[in-house]
Amino acid sequence: MGGCDRTFQAHQSGLLQKLLQEDSAYDYDLIVIGGGSGGLACAQEAAILGKKVMVLDFVVPSPQGTSWGLGGTCVNVGCVPKKLMHQAALLGQALSDARKFGWEYHQQVKHNWETMTEAIQNHIGSLNWGYRLSLREKAVAYVNAYGEFVEHHKIKATNRKGQETYYTAAKFVLATGERPRYLGIRGDKEYCITSDDLFSLPYCPGKTLVVGASYVALECAGFLAGIGLDVTVMVRSILLRGFDQEMAEKVGSYMEQHGVKFLRKFIPVLVQQLERGSPGKLKVVAKSTEGPETIEEIYNTVLLAIGRDSCTRKIGLEKIGVRINERSGKIPVNDMEQTNVPYVYAVGDILEGKLELTPVAIQAGKLLARRLFAGRLEKCDYVNIPTTVFTPLEYGCCGLSEERAIEVHKKENLEVYHTLFWPLEWTVAGRDNNTCYAKIICNKSDNYRVIGFHVLGPNAGEITQGFAAAMKCGLTKQLLDDTVGIHPTCGEVFTTLEITKSSGLDITQKGC
Amino acid sequence: MAQRLLLRRFLASIISRKPPQGRWAPLTCRAPQRSPGDLTVAPNQARSIYTTRVCTTTFNIQDGPDFQDRVVNSETPVVVDFHAQWCGPCKILGPRLEKAVAKQHGKVVMAKVDIDDHTDLALEYEVSAVPTVLAIKNGDVVDKFVGIKDEDQLEAFLKKLIG
Repeated sequence: MGGCDRTFQAHQSGLLQKLLQEDSAYDYDLIVIGGGSGGLACAQEAAILGKKVMVLDFVVPSPQGTSWGLGGTCVNVGCVPKKLMHQAALLGQALSDARKFGWEYHQQVKHNWETMTEAIQNHIGSLNWGYRLSLREKAVAYVNAYGEFVEHHKIKATNRKGQETYYTAAKFVLATGERPRYLGIRGDKEYCITSDDLFSLPYCPGKTLVVGASYVALECAGFLAGIGLDVTVMVRSILLRGFDQEMAEKVGSYMEQHGVKFLRKFIPVLVQQLERGSPGKLKVVAKSTEGPETIEEIYNTVLLAIGRDSCTRKIGLEKIGVRINERSGKIPVNDMEQTNVPYVYAVGDILEGKLELTPVAIQAGKLLARRLFAGRLEKCDYVNIPTTVFTPLEYGCCGLSEERAIEVHKKENLEVYHTLFWPLEWTVAGRDNNTCYAKIICNKSDNYRVIGFHVLGPNAGEITQGFAAAMKCGLTKQLLDDTVGIHPTCGEVFTTLEITKSSGLDITQKGC
Repeated sequence: MAQRLLLRRFLASIISRKPPQGRWAPLTCRAPQRSPGDLTVAPNQARSIYTTRVCTTTFNIQDGPDFQDRVVNSETPVVVDFHAQWCGPCKILGPRLEKAVAKQHGKVVMAKVDIDDHTDLALEYEVSAVPTVLAIKNGDVVDKFVGIKDEDQLEAFLKKLIG
């Protein structure tokens, strides 16, 4: 018992020295693979904490040849350009409302696609640059190269020219994100585009078929229709899978009433090019999912938005034994974002079972860095994360969908309050009444705690943000009722909710 | 910003040639040492194809060694215009500065650096916002400004550099 023979032995063999210097045996304290929302947040936080960090970011060009700069999906081909194009469409709507408010103009108002995309791409360029600067300021090494594991603690980075360099690190964070999925039918990769290509398309897409019913599909279909294009959405089954279905149907219904065509229960089986061009002409053949019916139609552009696949299959994870979900490609992690290999962590869209949202990735990335390098214990809280779908009629939500609430808490423990509302600005403009909708789901057995918040109306994102904070503070129906509304706003309807679904009372608004 | 391989620069040259108010001069001058027939560059350095006017006082920087050679080691003072494709003010300042430099009849030359193509160089010279213009004499940065300046201000800036 006791004694230090083992220590002397380690000293003799050189093992002791190695153990003492363990971390300096590696090039970096942390290497982050992927320079998107999650990766950059984690890398920068770790650098702020004094660690030696490297970020690798590389965009494999899309089948149509599109690529982009540093910042990941959100900045380049996601949230940012999407919201700007949504805004372009909203402004179009505002122009037509304007006449009712007294604005007189006599020219025909048209939309110029190239002007819009150039302006949006310029803004994105400034964001890419901003990220480069930020990494430089925080002394994070940045390499524009494709990273993959070759052995434990070591990656190979291949740049655009094919040159290979090797780097080692004590810890790794995988933040490689996702890319759009293709259909696997003839003509899909050659002739179809995806969200990767849409936001920088050098020509107006024209008559467009959007395949898919995800929020990407509906948001894109929404703003394309909003700028005046002929848009059809081809849906295999339901809209917005994973979201509250009552709200999803209302979102779709509004789009349909406002000129977006829906082909429900069809899937494309063939895409043929009839004419080359910018845009060209494509023939799409689609089959019904319920019978033998097939349809054919000609479009200028086919936009695929049927889902996204994780970029986890070609980064050498099998070489170091990181387990991935073979079917989905997603990475299962524990509540510390750690994979089954202790020195490898993951953040962002590639995580299994977590919401694919920028703020989630950023939060997870920051907290992870703090736990790894600052001894902090805080874990990322994935409960009550708010989000908004920026369709023509926006849908904001936080907490559980009605279906999920019933599943978790049982219908008898829930009380759902709801109402239709008519935004004041829509009255004079003569826009739909009895379309905007507000709903909260309360847990009766927990003080009528608000466990689900849903709003369909203008500025849904802005409204939802505030209520998300309230829910984090344990919002109950009583607290909502005690809150005085701001008048005249849309958000105030939540402070005066009275009618419950269970009462069966009519929520139609009559008159003003 | 998104790139579609060769299309990006080509497209940029087309877009920048649209004359909204006729303010943008879509001309770029080639380096004095290059042969006159050398209009295009190898595909992996997709450069725009501009119509050119004979001009020997402005050139685009190709890489680090090129910068070292033609700016740092230059006997003539050099103004370096750090610019970006996505920067509106750069598109105004660039041609204005070129004109002002040309008026100095070779006493000063101008190097253009696209900060996305040459990010390391830009970061090395601490460029954060664009346009950033550096005045370099005998390899040292002797003056600098950020943002747009008018013709008179540019002339004063250049006169000060020439000394």
